[in-house]
Amino acid sequence: MLKLNLQRVVKYVDRLPLFTRLVIVLAVALEMAAVLPWWDIRAWGRLEPDLFNVWTLYRANTYPLIHTDVIHLIVNLFAVTPLVERFEAEYGTLTSLALFFGPLSLLPAVIYVGIERFLLRSNTSIMGASIWGFLLIGMEAIRAHRTTPYLVIRGQPTIPMWTTPIAVLLLTAVLMPGSSFLGHLCGLAVGYICGMGLIKLLAPPAWALRLVEDKLNLRLRVPYYVSMDQVAHGRFGVLPLTTVGAVPTSVLQLRRDPRILKLPPYLSLLCILVGAAWLFLLPLDRYSRRTYISENALLPGQVHTYFGGSDQNVFRAYKHEVNELVGKSNAEFNDKLEPIVKSLGLKTARQNFTYHAAGHTYSGENLYAILQAPRGDATEAIVLVAAWENVKHEVNRNGIPLALTLLRYFKRWSLWSKDIILLLTPDSIAGPQAWVDAYHDAHDTSRVASLPLKSGLLQGAIAIDYAQENRFESVHIVYDGVNGQLPNLDLINSIVNIAGGQMGIGTTLQEMWNHDNGYPDRLRTMLRGMLKQGLGLASGAHSSFIPYHVDAVTLRPFGEGWQDEMAMGRLVEGTFRSLNNLLEHLHQSFFFYLLMQRERFVSIGTYLPSAMLVAANFTIMAIALWMKSGQPATPVEGVTPKAKTETPTTTAERDLFLPLGVVTLIQSLSIIPLYLFNHAPESMLTPLFATFAVINTLLPPALSHLLTHSHTPITPQQYNLIQSFSLLLLGMFLSSLATLNFSLAMITGLLTSPLSFVRPAKTQTARWAVTGLLHAISPTAVLVAGAVCWGVDVTSVLREAAVGWHVCGTYSAVVVWCVWWPAWVAGSVVVLGGRGGGQGNKIKVV
Amino acid sequence: MDGAKVTPGRTAGLYVGAAVLRLAIFTLLPGLPDLLTGRVEISTPVTSFKRLQEGLFLYNHNVSPYDGGVYHQAPLFLPLFSLLPSFASLPIFTYLLYIAVDLLSASALWKIADSGEAGSSALFTSSRREKRWSGFVIAAVFLFNPFTVATCIGRSTSVFTTCAILHAIAKAVAGAPLGAMVALSFASYLSMYPLLLLPPLVLLCYDRQRPERATKSSLQFAGICASIVAGVVAILFQMSYFITGSWEFLPSTYGVQLTLSDLAPNVGLWWYFFIEMFDSFRSFFLAVFWLHLSSYVGGLTVRIRRQPLVVMTLLLGIFAIFKPYPSISDTSLFLALVPLYRHVFPLMRYTFVSAAVIMYASFLGPAFYYLWIYAGSGNANFFYAITLVWGLGKSLLVCDLMFAVLRDEWEVERPEMAGKEIRQI
Repeated sequence: MLKLNLQRVVKYVDRLPLFTRLVIVLAVALEMAAVLPWWDIRAWGRLEPDLFNVWTLYRANTYPLIHTDVIHLIVNLFAVTPLVERFEAEYGTLTSLALFFGPLSLLPAVIYVGIERFLLRSNTSIMGASIWGFLLIGMEAIRAHRTTPYLVIRGQPTIPMWTTPIAVLLLTAVLMPGSSFLGHLCGLAVGYICGMGLIKLLAPPAWALRLVEDKLNLRLRVPYYVSMDQVAHGRFGVLPLTTVGAVPTSVLQLRRDPRILKLPPYLSLLCILVGAAWLFLLPLDRYSRRTYISENALLPGQVHTYFGGSDQNVFRAYKHEVNELVGKSNAEFNDKLEPIVKSLGLKTARQNFTYHAAGHTYSGENLYAILQAPRGDATEAIVLVAAWENVKHEVNRNGIPLALTLLRYFKRWSLWSKDIILLLTPDSIAGPQAWVDAYHDAHDTSRVASLPLKSGLLQGAIAIDYAQENRFESVHIVYDGVNGQLPNLDLINSIVNIAGGQMGIGTTLQEMWNHDNGYPDRLRTMLRGMLKQGLGLASGAHSSFIPYHVDAVTLRPFGEGWQDEMAMGRLVEGTFRSLNNLLEHLHQSFFFYLLMQRERFVSIGTYLPSAMLVAANFTIMAIALWMKSGQPATPVEGVTPKAKTETPTTTAERDLFLPLGVVTLIQSLSIIPLYLFNHAPESMLTPLFATFAVINTLLPPALSHLLTHSHTPITPQQYNLIQSFSLLLLGMFLSSLATLNFSLAMITGLLTSPLSFVRPAKTQTARWAVTGLLHAISPTAVLVAGAVCWGVDVTSVLREAAVGWHVCGTYSAVVVWCVWWPAWVAGSVVVLGGRGGGQGNKIKVV
Repeated sequence: MDGAKVTPGRTAGLYVGAAVLRLAIFTLLPGLPDLLTGRVEISTPVTSFKRLQEGLFLYNHNVSPYDGGVYHQAPLFLPLFSLLPSFASLPIFTYLLYIAVDLLSASALWKIADSGEAGSSALFTSSRREKRWSGFVIAAVFLFNPFTVATCIGRSTSVFTTCAILHAIAKAVAGAPLGAMVALSFASYLSMYPLLLLPPLVLLCYDRQRPERATKSSLQFAGICASIVAGVVAILFQMSYFITGSWEFLPSTYGVQLTLSDLAPNVGLWWYFFIEMFDSFRSFFLAVFWLHLSSYVGGLTVRIRRQPLVVMTLLLGIFAIFKPYPSISDTSLFLALVPLYRHVFPLMRYTFVSAAVIMYASFLGPAFYYLWIYAGSGNANFFYAITLVWGLGKSLLVCDLMFAVLRDEWEVERPEMAGKEIRQI
């Protein structure tokens, strides 16, 4: 037995072709040469990433032939010899020579060096023929995959053939200490690519090789030579058992594979989970960045501020005047303040406005004055806003006198290159909105009067909200604009810089009074910011400016400290000096960002993927449901393995009219709540909401009843299509919205994400259970939950929404009623539409 | 729905419904028409209603309407709109005119659909022709297509071209070559590019001639048709000359289209290219772009000789992508003709993908335009990228329809291959 084996081995070795012999001889010879004391052949020939350049390209040829020690050599030779022999027998000696001392060594080397040097940034040398071994195994595996795509275990095709080398790779990595996993992987990757047909491109042209072969008459002269014409089908014309169209067929088969339809729900779940998890990574140091000033012209905190001294007395005088006016009407305090401003030598004007929202009338009169720049040409202006009342309806007792004092002080300086406009409004939302609209001639003249006096392009606006009586500790910067638009980050950075660096005043964001810059506080700041952005309501007198591309913030002092009104004035002065420096509109820094601390932010590139992933999940499911609707209905639900291989070749005809009609109907119904909630008077809002909630509960069952009991009952395919269209629309709306208001898209996306996974329920109980769960995320339920959570009543939420809609043009209501609500109704109809109910009952009766 | 009987009541109902919808939008949402008129997706420099009013104002004040370089539309619009009561005081007449034009287009489309030309032409009869939508459905799809409605509300003058093209096809299908040629001449006079539809339209007329007065020689027929078009266009030019008093209108209307001198953004692919281009290359690339646009005519006409209506549909799709000043109105014309091929829908492979891409683009387009122009936080690349996607969606649809039609032809030739997997080699 042993003798026989030995004979076979000898015979095998005796028949080894030329190139294989050459490899063995070279490898052994180099291993022996390694004992030479004066020449470290391993250091000379190995593939060392840092030393790899054009001059050391020889290493790309030598490293497979050099081994670390004798055992390495023996193991490798045993593994590689049969593979190389097989390769040579098929492709011929000359081709093997050209390939193995050319691309088949060079390509893995280049990939390895690339990864090692640029990705891992380390310098691990490799050597040994095993890289060829993995390369050849990879090629063999691809070829085997074409004939037998799956390893059959217990009668079921389970393991794809092409993955088998990966098992070998992992085994090697585990069993062989010191083997280079990455090196082997590079070899394997090149092997795969070659197996897929690249080798045809790599090999030298056949005619050239044939010429060499014929001219030198190699076939007869050289022993053990394998001619290239010995290969069965010419050279690479047709690889054995590979037809030209193999790839398209497999792609088509893949498309029909029923398993491919099992994948999308997991994929879309993954999208949602990654999207949500992404948010929670953002506050980490790795993902957020420190803020910095991009616009050089701002030079924040580089000037001395002189506000103070005798201005304190002026301030007290003005404050006295203002205190007299508390409780008086809008017209009265304008009558009182206008002469004061006029006496400073400024032009003043007034503007009337009237808004109607939620049955209330919001009217008043704005008073404004323009300080013409001594060094400007009235083409640019900065606005100082002081509202009589802030958003919480506290009287701005210190803010208005401070604004007047500042204006009087600014008037004395000759350095202004931009006009300064002082705007005094009766409230913080309607007044500034009316003024900005009229300033840009975008107002409805029936409700808002035009401005008699104008200046140049608005470059920035600062609103002072200083209702607190005592001295303050820090300044709260409010920066959210209408519809989640934000001012340029440079403005916020400048104020933080001036307040912190020059005045020693702390700054906070998003009502985070104590911020320790730890992960929880950063996350909380970010989430608060997102919530405010998502609601899209005006958060101060500055909010209305931002949609007109005027960067604006509100500054609100808070806390018990030792800073007085003059410090606040100096902060405004410093900011105005910075804005005064601007040569062009703020544009350098970010407009889309999430702030998590006054000095840390993430930009749109970092956070947008999370919303896009959430939106993408809907599109993925829409496509999957569309494909599913195209599959012919199978009589049995559980598909047997046999049925899996018999893939359907035709797609079923889809009946589109009913699903399109249903989705269009639901979508157009959404105008009703949008109109009602925006036009009902306040007293009607609560009863209306209650009625709507009841209708909302009844609507899906009613629709579902209508669909199932019409004369042509709805099919499961049509349910799939209804859901597909509804999810497609949802995904589309949300991805468009994500570019405009990231937070709103993200919040809506997360709240609607369960709609991707609802299916027609099979049993009565499941149906009602899922419907109940869906009700927990319906717009009405979320609205109530949100109101309870923040301790406000539903009426005031709805009133605020209506005011936002009519005054500021907030479109959050459109998103809730015309994007979220229709998707939710469609999802509920789908859940209720299980055919199980009707048929199940029938079976029971029978 | 497919075989439903169409009663006069339903016909009237459809037209009244479409008219009421448009009137309701005009009257209930008074801000919307002006908003839509200003949208670059609807109004291009050569179709804008605002520019028409400017031209009209100049015309009524005896100034050449082409002074000032704002008005780039055909001169015959001016007397037409001057005859209407002033838009500023009585806009309802303008609205009614636009609504009437839409309804006329729909009725032409209805005739095309009922002729069955899409399923069985003179030289080719599809084996699938039984499955088709009635004229009612196709007219309804056209009339209630949001793109059509938006174009009508935006009062783009391209609706007149659309109407003329559809009438040209309807006349051709009805066996009235003269009417078809006159209608096409009007379309070409208004927008120039419909002239490229002449070869397939001549073939369509030739195929659908009434037997009693058929011209046998195809060359003779084509010659007659071409001379009719040339004659009618010449008459229209002469009338324009009398109206404006000079030939200035030629460079101001057709010249602008040929040289793309107004680079206002639109949903097409030209403007961005020509903004970025060095002036020395401009004329070369103009020639290349126009050559590209017109090169489809010959190839498609020859390849799908047996179904000239298909050629016209595909060409209208291609024009909607590659025209110098395309708008959603061109897309709505293409989408109006696509439902005629209901019978090959099962052969189309990417309907969902192309529909989804077109819808995505039509939502993201305005959002990106807003970010660029109003919010100032985006730039021109945002909008151009989305117009590329928009073009991609439409070209997917064109290619897919072409594939389906060719496959349908092939299955008639080789019935044994019906339903089998084929692969392009």
